[in-house]
Amino acid sequence: MAPSEVLIRKLQRISSLREPDLAVLRGIPIHEKEFQANQDLVLEGDRPSHSFVLVDGLVGSTKYTGDGKRQITSFFVTGDIPDLHGLHLPVMDCTFSTLTPSRVGFMRHDSLRAICDQHPRIAAAFWRSTLIDAAIYREWVTNVGRRDAFTRIAHILCELIYRLRAVGRIDDHIADIPITQAALGDAVGLSTVHVNRTLQELRHKGLIETSGAQTRVQNWPNLVRAGDFNPTYLHNRDPEVVV
Amino acid sequence: MARYYFDSGDRNDAVEDEIGIEYAGLEEARRAGLEGLKDLAKDSLQDLDGQQLFVEVRNENGDKILRLSLSLNVTPI
Repeated sequence: MAPSEVLIRKLQRISSLREPDLAVLRGIPIHEKEFQANQDLVLEGDRPSHSFVLVDGLVGSTKYTGDGKRQITSFFVTGDIPDLHGLHLPVMDCTFSTLTPSRVGFMRHDSLRAICDQHPRIAAAFWRSTLIDAAIYREWVTNVGRRDAFTRIAHILCELIYRLRAVGRIDDHIADIPITQAALGDAVGLSTVHVNRTLQELRHKGLIETSGAQTRVQNWPNLVRAGDFNPTYLHNRDPEVVV
Repeated sequence: MARYYFDSGDRNDAVEDEIGIEYAGLEEARRAGLEGLKDLAKDSLQDLDGQQLFVEVRNENGDKILRLSLSLNVTPI
């Protein structure tokens, strides 16, 4: 799918755009690039002149502590525009890295600004996108700060499955989760050893299956309960399509 | 890199590691085991005098090579 169509689908999932808006979005010049897993796309401290739409793959926003420990602060899936805030905040305050091989489309800030100036519905859709990103960060703070490891990992698996399903990357809830134990640990603030233990507890309860590095969800309704997962914070306009 | 297996739990209630994790050597595996034990304590330490939590490391051959454990002692004074 063309990168502009990926972008349009994302914005249509979260806002109501009209046909003339879609034509404008189709005209945005997008420079596509392929990346391997674990490559940095934008670095903390950068002054980017572009924002990117994730065309395919999985990206994480990451922060490092002074002594080099990594925290993944959010995941981004197909259609997301992880560094859209860079349009208004000149210095990047976190790093964006690929977690799996990914295809990314870069859009110039000056063309995005010109579009926002002239098309308020598009500007509102972009705003809404960054608001939802913030809602996801709030959920993650709650998850990492207050849920025990079992609930925390179940929750993050639910979110990832729900989001991949919402963007049509997977067809049902029984899907491989494309992330390593170490990356999962960095996303939930737990050691790899405890992630490993907790994945096996989830497996013994029949919620997931694991084979090698892959994790596969087995029982979606029970995983949702185990993960204390309520997708309201994802603000999908058609939640019933997903659940 | 070698694969290490980390069984962990609470005395009679252990979760056996069937997945394993790769580390450069025993020293790295030991540090990982300690971090795992700290997380386990946060989740599983209850108000039980004598409770013992552990992480036991096995190598690729299945030999037990290291045990890290923590015990809780509650003593009225």
